[in-house]
Amino acid sequence: MTGITAAGLTGASAHRKRPAELNVLLGLIAIIAVFELLGWLLVGQSFLLNKQRLMIIILQVSIVGIISVGVTQVIITGGIDLSSGSVVGATAMIAMSFAQASTGPAPVYAGLTDLPVLVPVAVGLGMGALAGVVNGSLIAYTKIPPFIATLGMMVAARGISKWYTNGKPVSFPTDSYAMIGKGIMPVVIFALIALLFHLALKYTLYGKHTYAIGSNTEAARISGIKVERHIVLVYAIAGLLAGLAAIVVSSKNLTAQAGMGMMYELDAIAMAVIGGVSLSGGRGSIIGTVLGALIFGVIISGFTFLRIDAYYQEMIKGVIIVVAVVADVARQRKRSRS
Amino acid sequence: MKKTLMMASFASLMATTAMAENIGVSMALFDDNFLTVLRNGMTEYAGTLDGVTLQVEDAGNDVAKQLDQINNFIASGVSAIVVNPVDTSATQAMSDAAAAAGIPLVYVNREPINVATLPDNQAFVASNEADSGTLETQEVCRILKEAGKTEANIYVIMGELSNQAAVMRTKDIHDVIATPDCSFMKIIDEQTSNWQRDQAQTLMTNWLSTGTAFDAVIANNDESAIGAIQAMKASGVDMASVVVGGVDATQDALAAMAAGDLDVTVFQDAAGQGKGSIDAALKLARGEAVDQKVYIPFQLVTPANMAEFQTKN
Repeated sequence: MTGITAAGLTGASAHRKRPAELNVLLGLIAIIAVFELLGWLLVGQSFLLNKQRLMIIILQVSIVGIISVGVTQVIITGGIDLSSGSVVGATAMIAMSFAQASTGPAPVYAGLTDLPVLVPVAVGLGMGALAGVVNGSLIAYTKIPPFIATLGMMVAARGISKWYTNGKPVSFPTDSYAMIGKGIMPVVIFALIALLFHLALKYTLYGKHTYAIGSNTEAARISGIKVERHIVLVYAIAGLLAGLAAIVVSSKNLTAQAGMGMMYELDAIAMAVIGGVSLSGGRGSIIGTVLGALIFGVIISGFTFLRIDAYYQEMIKGVIIVVAVVADVARQRKRSRS
Repeated sequence: MKKTLMMASFASLMATTAMAENIGVSMALFDDNFLTVLRNGMTEYAGTLDGVTLQVEDAGNDVAKQLDQINNFIASGVSAIVVNPVDTSATQAMSDAAAAAGIPLVYVNREPINVATLPDNQAFVASNEADSGTLETQEVCRILKEAGKTEANIYVIMGELSNQAAVMRTKDIHDVIATPDCSFMKIIDEQTSNWQRDQAQTLMTNWLSTGTAFDAVIANNDESAIGAIQAMKASGVDMASVVVGGVDATQDALAAMAAGDLDVTVFQDAAGQGKGSIDAALKLARGEAVDQKVYIPFQLVTPANMAEFQTKN
């Protein structure tokens, strides 16, 4: 939306002295160093040299991480997606209702238990993509701001998640559905998704068009990009990934609840923003977002590791988000001056 | 012609609603398992009563929205109002509004701050929150003693920090541990999971990664207890060596108890509270006397008596 057309069309980091991702990486290392130091001083053990902790640092951000990969692409087009958390809630409820085992008490559809795992997965991905298509179409064709369109979806999808079973949780999935989010599976899925879209954004026409639209929509249109169609596609992908996250989170927890995914959208946006994705569009990368997600994971684990009072944790988290953006803005201003 | 017809049908609609007893219900939030059982308890009970209709609204955990809903109920002239308060310290304005309009008001499940000064046509139906955490912790204490522990490390998983039940249940845990009988228990850390299974899973795994030895996990609700159990099982902790307690006796929790993973939970009669609140509201609307505090008791659930609770929640 800001007029850096050249940078947008040739890829975000074409002529940058120090890529934004490097700064995020340095930030991540600095935060780890602080926890490592405090760990030895206060707890008497290493923060990082602990296999189980390394695992949970990544595992606990994998599900929101999957969403943030979609949100990153939406933000690069100059948009925003506030609906992903609610879409996770609604999709998890609906997908789980097709994944129930006949051995559990009171399934939602008594005649539809023990279905092959492909059914709930297809339902989940389909519902997520559908929500995304609705978001994208509203934004591209009615020209209402993305904030409003996805806000509407956020409220409506949460309504669906409550209405679907009158607020009752849906639990007791089949063993095959439970495998999807078991153990390190969420990390594997997150890594594959991140890699896939990293390649797509960096090396394909899809990626070039995404950056071009975010940098300067009119220039993109003049250069022959079908802007509306592309925006629908990007939001559909974001919705699909929210659907995937819903499948993974409901499988991992062996339950779907109407309140599931609450605030995930904000965590996903925060991960992208900490990772250097610019809210004004046209700039950012999946690598940055993955690093942003890792910073989130390190902070959550670090707080529990140091046994920081629960009341302080959210306050500190908020400060870190704002500091990350302030640093990013300051760095950009410096670059545009030089 | 068309207009008169519409007027007539509208008038008859008004007449039917005026004849029936219409109760306005404002729930703190719809997407909470326990409150859903309570809400369904209300609607099912009202369905068995002739001429009683419920209008149930979702306050979406928003104090201001809830007060608006109550004012809307008053404006539409309901016979009585049932409120499940979002924030128990924000109830004075609700009581005042209903009292000024002369409409009976019943608080359900969460104790309003002005419970001692409620007007005559207002009441409070709930379980005594001081019992839940106490029953839970006393049973955990008993099991640990039975296992011959002389000192025990405890992790506490709290619910939402701004929630009165979470604050109360956590206080109960501290109170029981302060008694000489259970003073061998020591809390090594307490953190919040916001009532959520996923967050409890993450929290427990983070605790496990510190390698500190522990004997019991006491959670403010079953969902958190189940999350902790899932994390421990994923890390290969022997569930027979850890005592895990929750509150609510949900279906999922009873399944976990049957599997031998969950040791203690506490049943709060959600449907009973829902039914009790409608009863109290109807009595007040008909001008009958009602106890201002109606307590529906909590019950301890262990593997020994869990079968009784299978169909209750």
